[in-house]
Order: sequence, then structure tokens, then C-alpha cells
Amino acid sequence: MEPRHARYPFLGSARKAVEAADVDLAAVARERRSAVDRGRERILSGLFEGTVGETHRRPRVELLSYPVARVLVSLVDQPALTHRYARAEAAAAHERFQEDLTATQFRSTDGQQLTLATLLSEFDLRGAIEPRETTSLDDAERFSIAVGTYLELAAGQYGDDWRLVNRSLADGRVPIDREELLELLRAAVEERVLDGLPLNVPDPIADSLTEDVEAVSERLDELDLTRDIDTVVPELFPPCMTALLDQVQKGEHLAHHSRFAITSFLTSIGMTTDDIVELYEINPGFGEEMTRYQTDHIRGETSPTDYSPPACATMQSYGDCVNMDDLCEEISHPLSYYEAKLEDADEEEVIDWRERDGDE
Amino acid sequence: MEERTRAYLRGRFGDHYRRVDLSLPPDAHEREWGYIPWTEGPSETMVRHKSLLGLGDLESFLARERPRHIYFSAGRYADPSASSMGKKDWRGSDVVFDLDADHLPAVDPDEDTYAEMLATCKDALLRLLDFLETDFGFSELTIVFSGGRGYHVHVRDEGIQHLDREGRREIVDYVRGIGLDLDGLVTTEMRGNVTARRLRTDGGWGKRVHEALLAFVSEIESLPEADGKERLQALDGIGEGRAKTVYGAIDANRDAIENGNLEAGGPGIRKLVDALTHKVIEDQNAPIDEPVTTDTNRLIRLPGSLHGGSGLAVRTLERGEISGFNPLVDAVPETFRGHEITVEVTDPERVELDGDTFTLSEGVSTVPEYLGVFLMSRGRAQKGPE
Repeated sequence: MEPRHARYPFLGSARKAVEAADVDLAAVARERRSAVDRGRERILSGLFEGTVGETHRRPRVELLSYPVARVLVSLVDQPALTHRYARAEAAAAHERFQEDLTATQFRSTDGQQLTLATLLSEFDLRGAIEPRETTSLDDAERFSIAVGTYLELAAGQYGDDWRLVNRSLADGRVPIDREELLELLRAAVEERVLDGLPLNVPDPIADSLTEDVEAVSERLDELDLTRDIDTVVPELFPPCMTALLDQVQKGEHLAHHSRFAITSFLTSIGMTTDDIVELYEINPGFGEEMTRYQTDHIRGETSPTDYSPPACATMQSYGDCVNMDDLCEEISHPLSYYEAKLEDADEEEVIDWRERDGDE
Repeated sequence: MEERTRAYLRGRFGDHYRRVDLSLPPDAHEREWGYIPWTEGPSETMVRHKSLLGLGDLESFLARERPRHIYFSAGRYADPSASSMGKKDWRGSDVVFDLDADHLPAVDPDEDTYAEMLATCKDALLRLLDFLETDFGFSELTIVFSGGRGYHVHVRDEGIQHLDREGRREIVDYVRGIGLDLDGLVTTEMRGNVTARRLRTDGGWGKRVHEALLAFVSEIESLPEADGKERLQALDGIGEGRAKTVYGAIDANRDAIENGNLEAGGPGIRKLVDALTHKVIEDQNAPIDEPVTTDTNRLIRLPGSLHGGSGLAVRTLERGEISGFNPLVDAVPETFRGHEITVEVTDPERVELDGDTFTLSEGVSTVPEYLGVFLMSRGRAQKGPE
């Protein structure tokens, strides 16, 4: 077992190290060894801080805590938790390889060191990425990546800079800088962590982790990630969403982030794909197939992630925050605005859009 | 369509399929197949979820069933004949592009003839191929005249087989220039302790805009000063005063412009580049039909088959063949040449086909068979008495 394995437990070699150590996960779970506590901490740090918490002083415990965390996440089996956890593992890995890869020259070259080449090979990306202006991967500041691989990894990235249309695509390759490459590797780690979750956990292991599963579930409930706002009253929408919906209905072309914002908002308040298509269909130009696909995607039916709508800060940075009112000053999320409005509204006046007459 | 017309077309489609050699797409056994039989009434019901194994040998299937339309999937599956997409177990998909005259902004369906629509579509095809070859560097391209209103391009490079819809939409947006703005084409570099904006000239739309900029600048330089300024004012967002500044900036900073430097000459050059960006997108984008490309389970017409709505052949084109290709001559099936038949014309609008222009009149006429098949397939005539 190498220190590298504890630092990057998702690597194939780390997995082999766990196998080679012949650790019985059932025994680990049963005996409540430190790995279970550390595994639980990985998840809770992920949930609340977006990272995986303090590394355990014993590499063996640290390494084992990763498969334990995956088992726990699988037993809780809540998509919101699974995705937050995967994001946190990926964020931690990203931070670590940023450190390790820039500090290469100051460290011993005992073959234990993580190199960019190792990392790329790990994700089967060695063939897709080439250094530019130099032949050495480790010295390169600029790279090019095969367009297919770029699209696979950059598709989930937020921001217009990642859009292919804004890239200097030439002869099948997209130029990227080092920082961008590491960001794409972060996305690859996230995908790796998610891969296979939820696991099928054997009963004996599940039984000995009941207490931990309950503890994680309780903390998850605190966050109230799954909101229960299932009334659709467009008059009470926050001004940003009203403006976006208005544009959709007028048939204006919305930027990707704006379409995402309005559709994920509508999904979060309990609208089905059919409802959304109907609400949008006032404008024939919006394209039913497109709306269906995008809505299903955001709902997590055709993609591994179910997305929640962007917070006010994100809406602001994309220029989608418009017509702010007094209530906007008090909230930080468009859903909170809507929730507050619904609470204040007179029961009588709140008529769900889906229950109104079609001719209004 | 009357029973007699249907029986005739079906019979002649069968004759065609007995004569021609069809080549199968790669991994034909992993694809879903579907077809539309000749049926009464306007509704067309596709028989789908078939595997090649289920159809049997394709050539004998076509000669026996003589379908009106035949399709195969862009996707490959473990079990292509399973009844739902989930059960098929997707393995990957070609990226397919569809250019359809009906969707081209440059086509006016009320004014343009069929031949004109197809010519506009071919221009769009050449623009699309430029993106696919130069920018994307794809090498496994199959270019096909659809037999109807346009062209299909199948991309089979290994690197794109596993893209999901999100990734495919990025390709669509790229070739259509959607979501592109000047900000996205500009990088900010540090020069000493100031930041400098520079156009990305090394590839992508940035390179296209830069090329347009250089061509435009050369044009301005070749004109007398007054004409040059007038030319500038013809662009969006450039008035008389600005034209003067931009003109001066072009004159003084030719080298900087060559390098994509957008600081030289102040805001004038950026205004010019902004105006040119919109024009470049308008002139160079390839208006493909988005849902076809983003759909990983799409069924596409089989190259070599007949299009049941025109009686024309779905023709695979070699790259070098495109510029000289005339669909209304080169896609006329050999089977239908050299015979005459009688048809009863119901819609006598003029037809250009196989190099001739036919002025028709309503009622029974004797016409070349390819014209008769074309008219009957399009619902503009019925089979006449022999």
C-alpha cells in the first residue's frame, strides 16, 4: 500500500491495493474500526463542506474509508447525497493533484509520485491529450485534447467558455491550458466515483452499518434538499423566472444557462415533462422534442444527475437576475422566493396552473 | 393513392431492388432496421424494432417486401430488435447530420423550384463538410443524397461513438454557430502589466472571423478612401464618425490586425470585428436539423434504397463527386429510364427531371417512366390505363 493510494483512493491501483490487502469489508463494518468513522466523515464533509475532511493519520484507514463511504452512500441511496458526495471526492482530488503536479520538481523521484502521465493513463486519456509547444507532459502549460473526449468531459461544465462553439477547434483537437485540463480531470474523477453507485450491498455489511446509515440520513434531512413545493402558480414566480418564462413564450432564443435555469426551476416545483412542454408550447418555436429531452435530462431521467436550479448568485453572474424586488433582498435562492410567496398567499387565490381552464 | 398506382410502384420498386447491389452500413447486425410498407391512405406506419436477422438477407427482403421506405439506426445495440430502447442496450451511435431544404433559411418554399432548393441545400452541405473535415478532423464520412429534399452525412469516427445527446448538441451548436459571441472568440492576455484582447486565430470560429477580417481589410485598402468609408458604414453599428476612426485604424495597424490584436486602433476595430462576426455566422453556418443529430437512436434512410416520396435513389456520393452532382439527373434510377408509361396527372405543375423540363396538363399522358414514378410517388398523378 502506497501513500498515493490513500490520497487518491479512486485510482485503479488503490482498488487493487485494497484487494491485495485482503480486507474483509464485512469485518471492518462489524468491528466498527476507524475506517467506518472516517468513511462517515467523508460523506458528511462532502454534504456540508463540499470536500472530504481531514485525512486520517493512518494511510490504511484513510484508504479503506473510501470503499466504506461508497457502501454507506449506497445504503442511504438518495441521489442528492450521491451526487454531492461524488462532487466532494472530485473536488478533494482536484485540489490534491493541483498540489502534487505543480510541486513535482521539489519532490523525490522515487516512482511513487503522481505524474500527469499516470493520471491521464488512469482515465484512459493518454491518447487523447498532447502537450503543445513541448514534448513533455509535465512541463507543458498548453495541451490539445481530442474533440470527442473534450465533449464527453466538458459537457457538464458550467459556463460559456466551455462551449465548443467558443473554442479554437482545428483538425479534431481543442486547445486547452493546464488549469482546464485539471478541471476536466476533476470531471473524470466525479464520473469515476459515481460509476457503479449505488452498489449492491450484501446484507451482513448493511446490517452492521445500520446506525451509520441512520446518522447520515438524519443529517441529510437537515439540509432539506428535496423541497416540497408542488403548486404551480406562475404569478408567484420570482422575477428572474417570470422574465425567462416570458422569453420562452415569446419564442426568443435563450442561452443554454437560461434555458437550464427556467427548466430546472419548473422541475423543482413538481412540474412533469408534459406540464413543462404544455407551458412552453404557447410558443411553437421552442421545439417540443428539445424541451422534452432537456427536461428529462434535468430531472435525471436520461442523465445520472438530477439538477437543482441555480442560486441567486449564479443567476446574477449569468445576467439572468432581473427586476429584483424587496423579497429578493432577503433570499439567496429563487426557490426560497417562491416558497415564501406561496406561504404568504391567500389559500383562495392560489390556483394551480394545471387546474385552470384552458381558455384563459 | 389508388390501389393500381400502389401496386405499380411496389412492383417497379421490386424490379429495382432485384437489379441493384446494396452495400450494408458497418455493423449492420447491431443496428435497428425499420421500413414503411405501401399502404392505403396518407398515414404511414413504420414497422420498426427489426434486426437484420429478423429481416433476413437484406437484398432478398427488399425484393420480396418492396417497401416504400427503408431505414436503419444511427445507433448500435446489443439487442437491436428489442421492443424498447432501454432493452436494446445502446452501444454507441454514429453522428448523423440532416440538411433538409424545408429547414434552410435561404429557401423560400413558395418561390423556389425543387431544383433551386436542392442547389441551396448543396451549398449548405459544402459548408457543413468544411466544418466536419477542417475543424472536427473527421475522416469516416458517408455523404448521401436523401432522395428527397436534401443530404445526410454519417460520421463514423470512433471518437464520437459514445457521446450522449448533450455532447452531440455541442456539435450542432458549433456548426450552426449557436451561442457564439465575440467575447467567446477573444482571449485576454497580459502584456507587461496591461491586459490585451486578442482574437483566437488558431482555429474554430475565431479563425473564420479573422479570415473575414483580413479579407475585408484588404478590400477596404483597395478602395479609394471615400468608397472605403462608405463600405464600412454599410456594416451594422458603424456610423459616419466611427467609419473614419476604423478607416484610420486599419491604415495604421495592419500588422496588429494580422496578429488578431484587438487593442490596436481603439474600440473601432472591435466594433468592426463584432459586425463581421455576425456576418460570418450568417454566411458560414450550416443549418442542420438539430433533433436528427442529437438523437442517438435515430433511424436514417438506407443509402442505395429508393425514396418512396419521389422515386429517386438515395445516393452515396464520393467527396469529389459533390460539386458536379445534380440530384435531379444523377439520382434518377436506371431501372426507370428508357420506358414510357401512361399516368393520369392531377397536379400538372412543371417538373424538372433528368435534364428536361416537363410541362404537363391535367389528365392522361404518356411520360417517361422516371417522371411517371416521380409524379405518382409525390401524389401528383395516378397510374393510367395501359
